[in-house]
Amino acid sequence: MAPPAQSQRSPSPSQPSGKSEVSDLKLQLRQLAGSRAPGVDDSKRELFKKVISYMTIGIDVSSLFGEMVMCSATSDIVLKKMCYLYVGNYAKVNPDLALLTINFLQRDCRDEDPMIRGLALRSLCSLRVANLVEYLVGPLGSGLKDSNSYVRMVAVMGVLKLYHISASTCIDADFPSILKHLMLHDSDTQVVANCLSALQEIWSAEASTSEEASREREALISKPFIYYLLNRIKEFCEWAQCLVLELVTKYVPSDSSEIFDIMNLLEDRLQHANGAVVLATIRVFLQLTLSMTDVHQQVYERIKAPLLTLVSSGSPEQSYAVLSHLHLLVMRAPYVFSSDYKHFYCQYNEPSYVKRLKLEMLTAVANESNTYEIVTELCEYAANVDIPIARESIRAVGKIALQQYDVNAIVDRLLQFLEMEKDYVTAEALVLVKDLLRKYPQWSHDCIAVVGNISSKNVQEPKAKAALIWMLGEYSQDMQDAPYVLESLVENWDEEHSAEVRLHLLTAMMKCFFKRPPETQSALGAALAAGIADFHQDVHDRALFYYRILRYNVSVAERVVNPPKQAVSVFADTQSSEIKDRIFDEFNSLSVLYQKPSYMFTDKEHRGPLEFADELGNLSIGEAANNVVPTQMVEENDKDLLLTTSEKEETKGSRNNGSAYSVPYDGSSTSVFASQTQIESAVSNPTLAGHSPQASFAIDDLLGLGIPAAPAVLSPPQLKLNTKAALDPSTFQQKWRQLPVALSQEISVSPQGVAALTAPQALLRHMQSHSIHCIASGGQSPNFKFFFFAQKFEESSNYLVECVINTSSAKAQVKIKADDQNTSQDFSTLFESALSKFGTS
Amino acid sequence: MLQCIFLLSDSGEVMLEKQLTGHRVDRSICDWFWDHVISQGDSFKSQPVIASPTHYLFQVVREGITFLACTQVEMTPLMGIEFLCRVSDVLSDYLGGLNEDVIKDNFVIVYELLDEMIDNGFPLTTEANILREMIAPPNIVSKVLSVVTGNSSNVSDTLPGATGSCIPWRAAEPKYANNEVYVDLVEEMDAVINRDGALVKCEVYGEVRVNSHLSGLPDLTLSFANPSILDDVRFHPCVRFRPWESHQVLSFVPPDGEFKLMSYRIKKLKSTPLYVKPQLTSDAGKCRVNVLVGIRNDPGKTIDSITLEFQLPPCILSADLNSNHGTVNILGNKICSWTIGRIPKDKTPSLSGTLLLETELERLHVFPTFRVGFRIMGVALSGLQIDKLDLKTAPSRLYKGFRALTRAGEFEVRS
Repeated sequence: MAPPAQSQRSPSPSQPSGKSEVSDLKLQLRQLAGSRAPGVDDSKRELFKKVISYMTIGIDVSSLFGEMVMCSATSDIVLKKMCYLYVGNYAKVNPDLALLTINFLQRDCRDEDPMIRGLALRSLCSLRVANLVEYLVGPLGSGLKDSNSYVRMVAVMGVLKLYHISASTCIDADFPSILKHLMLHDSDTQVVANCLSALQEIWSAEASTSEEASREREALISKPFIYYLLNRIKEFCEWAQCLVLELVTKYVPSDSSEIFDIMNLLEDRLQHANGAVVLATIRVFLQLTLSMTDVHQQVYERIKAPLLTLVSSGSPEQSYAVLSHLHLLVMRAPYVFSSDYKHFYCQYNEPSYVKRLKLEMLTAVANESNTYEIVTELCEYAANVDIPIARESIRAVGKIALQQYDVNAIVDRLLQFLEMEKDYVTAEALVLVKDLLRKYPQWSHDCIAVVGNISSKNVQEPKAKAALIWMLGEYSQDMQDAPYVLESLVENWDEEHSAEVRLHLLTAMMKCFFKRPPETQSALGAALAAGIADFHQDVHDRALFYYRILRYNVSVAERVVNPPKQAVSVFADTQSSEIKDRIFDEFNSLSVLYQKPSYMFTDKEHRGPLEFADELGNLSIGEAANNVVPTQMVEENDKDLLLTTSEKEETKGSRNNGSAYSVPYDGSSTSVFASQTQIESAVSNPTLAGHSPQASFAIDDLLGLGIPAAPAVLSPPQLKLNTKAALDPSTFQQKWRQLPVALSQEISVSPQGVAALTAPQALLRHMQSHSIHCIASGGQSPNFKFFFFAQKFEESSNYLVECVINTSSAKAQVKIKADDQNTSQDFSTLFESALSKFGTS
Repeated sequence: MLQCIFLLSDSGEVMLEKQLTGHRVDRSICDWFWDHVISQGDSFKSQPVIASPTHYLFQVVREGITFLACTQVEMTPLMGIEFLCRVSDVLSDYLGGLNEDVIKDNFVIVYELLDEMIDNGFPLTTEANILREMIAPPNIVSKVLSVVTGNSSNVSDTLPGATGSCIPWRAAEPKYANNEVYVDLVEEMDAVINRDGALVKCEVYGEVRVNSHLSGLPDLTLSFANPSILDDVRFHPCVRFRPWESHQVLSFVPPDGEFKLMSYRIKKLKSTPLYVKPQLTSDAGKCRVNVLVGIRNDPGKTIDSITLEFQLPPCILSADLNSNHGTVNILGNKICSWTIGRIPKDKTPSLSGTLLLETELERLHVFPTFRVGFRIMGVALSGLQIDKLDLKTAPSRLYKGFRALTRAGEFEVRS
């Protein structure tokens, strides 16, 4: 305690602001502390208010701790509350002083007013000072037995807080079993709900070390307990209902009649006023019926109306969250929502992130019957004041056109866009017309007539300019002045800042040359000369390549640069279906809002290689990836155009694009090399993927140099395993019980491995290729558990492994048991090396 | 599980901080958040859920106050958002509105409320009725009382009965000399009308609001004359599901005071009460505007508070707009607002004038969307009608009252 003199000293300039006020308060508090005069509570209250408001502004008032505690001997509940608040805030930094408060808090825990008992207990547990836990056990124990449900409710949460401060104290006091008893027998549903949430947390945390806890955790999703909760669900408060519903999603019913019983019981929850309850119920319905295709469809029909109501009735924030979920469902089953397309019409003053979701949904639900109306509506947005949305809606029109419904009307609309004389509309429309022509070459006459009228001077955006140039090159025979337009573009070569445009210009000149040589020849020469002199590596390389191949043989050049094309049938999807499934499994979670499964964003460690993980996720989907040979290459400029359709950076999935435009490998290798786009890349030598940056391995790969990877993989030791080992489960169990743990260690899993571990099966296949076989596996992200076994080559010596992988921490806990203890170390190295390769092969 | 709640003022100042779990969330997250908000600009509001480098943030903005919640674990987004919405509702209910001053003046009450509403990151009691019994609202009456009686505590001495009762939304048996129950139908009409006058979309979102002051445990039944027109409904927890499912009858034991009994949606309405005919013709750098507003379908009651608002396109240099009825204002942010009030008997209100375009522009390419506001007392435009309200074991003196009101929701006319 500071001497009083200090408070009278004037603050020096270096002292933080509020210092003099704080010392002033200190003095006043001290005067009041012992006073029993009438009205003293009111003056205390004013002072406390000041202290708390300083605390709220961020001024450090921890120096008043002693005085505050001294003043807290009062019967005024508001004073008490303010004091609890203060103590809770500063106890952690003042553990010694916190001891002072224990006394009065413990006394309050025995107060006759249940409200004070509860509040004191809550504050006591919120002190979170590790060396004070011994004082918590007593009050908590009596709190759990309190006659008032309010106190019990607080005490249950207190147990959880105690667990987080000191797990051992909590377990030693046997609180979990008291909570379990309360959970099953308490009359107050809020107490039950709090027990449930506390026990879920405690047992999940304990499960890795204690068999009993993991058994208890399993028991939470057992039939009798789930039914016990479901039958009382209406008595729970809305938030507790969410908790119960979340638990129910983990329950696996034994047969379909049980599924129907649960759904019937929960049907009215869909009409609950709280959106969180509605979404939790929907999740239960969707999860339960996953395996029953026709019922699953009916569920979609049933949940449609509640979801649409939630979107239109709640606050903007709520409707956004619901809309994100609706978006997910619409993308999964667009046909169910095709008659509700009007709900996805954008309102003028909705924020643009909502409009964007709606545009995607409108695109998805378009079918034969509603395309005309949807496109009409989308055209309205093209004149929107919000330019990004106007652009998106034009793109949406294009996407619908590519879905093949009523193309005739859409092409007319797109051509109208070109005549709107707004630069961004023209730009977007040009890109779309180009895509459209690649899919429906039969429309070329109508389109070319309009495109021919567009002056290249009015088109500034690189993507649009590239599209225009592509069309000029591709259809130069139909466009009267194509060579001259291109020529004027070549003349302005130096003013063209985008390398993409210059690349396209080179290719277009070549194509034009093959069709109309006399008119183009001089301009082509100028273009090649300018290209070779270009400072941009890709442009330079391509110009040189064209030049050389032309000198070698013009007809070969034509076959390489401008081969006959087939129409593109399907443009690549931007997000793999596996990822969509993962997001769907995480319905009613943040994943849906980010449109990424949680493993991609929840773990900080994966932030960096996020894109990477994405790509690997795609590659691991099927063996097919390994069979794609590098000769299946796309002519570079076509690929570029494909990329523009998706706009997004997600080029990873576009491996499929290759099929439509395949040209001989040797012809395009240089141009692919030049472009530095890394599409096919990863597939032929995937081991590299995990270790070298994308761009460089793409090139290594395409050149077929086969530069060996330098992966940091441990060299496998001399232990040989039997590739065809066999062990039946009962023998495994028996051995597992008998043998001691030979080795227990923690192995880190590479981020790629984590990304590939979307389901246990992926790892099983991988380990099997290393002669390590799985006997049982299970779990859900982030925790997977595996039992593996292996046999020594030509010996019947077994190795048994228990492996628990946590994908969010990227760690695997491994326990190894072996018949032959001497080789267990060798085996462990082998196992670790096999596991470390997971995801990279 | 929410870890922390912050209340921020409209200048980004932290007015209140409530830590909920052992993992303290540092205040610096608010600085990050505020920088993020500013970087988004004000034309696009930032998303309700944001991922910061360390936390996931939920934000709800009400009356300039940002309610910010932080979490580091996966949770159901609706729980975070709904909870923040409830907090803002309860606070504005308690403090009689929300603004910076009222929160700063009553921060102790706000702390007390948050303490009861959420524990260890998990929402508990969010029913205003019950909270009011635990923590007295800071109204003038209680201030006067405290002066008179000298009892300065603003907390009732007893615990709310409802924490132990099996009807969580209702406090134990209140007593009233006058038993009253009022039912309001409040509807909002959302519509989109194209430039050719075609109705693109028209639906009604409605709420049944009840204000009940009834003694004891009243058991009410409310029925509609035409429940079949309802497309989708959502209920307050007090509504029993079975009677609705079998007979479309609302059977419930109401909370005490005001509450929202149900909300509903009726889609595919065929007509709107008003028409709005905008005409824009542009020529040689000028655009002539003419907008007519009139009654299309007489609802039988007066339509009042008619307003029309639109954003002038950014390419407009100046606007000269006048009306033959009501007042026209062009606000600073290029929003033109026309207050009409009621439609006069003798003429059709019209707005006309010219817009001067930017120098290079010949014609206008971006057409404004007109947002229309109106209010009709005494009519529910969807046609929903209350048939009757019955009270099992009616008390001797019971007053029942019914009202209806329709107003424009998102009512848009394109040009």
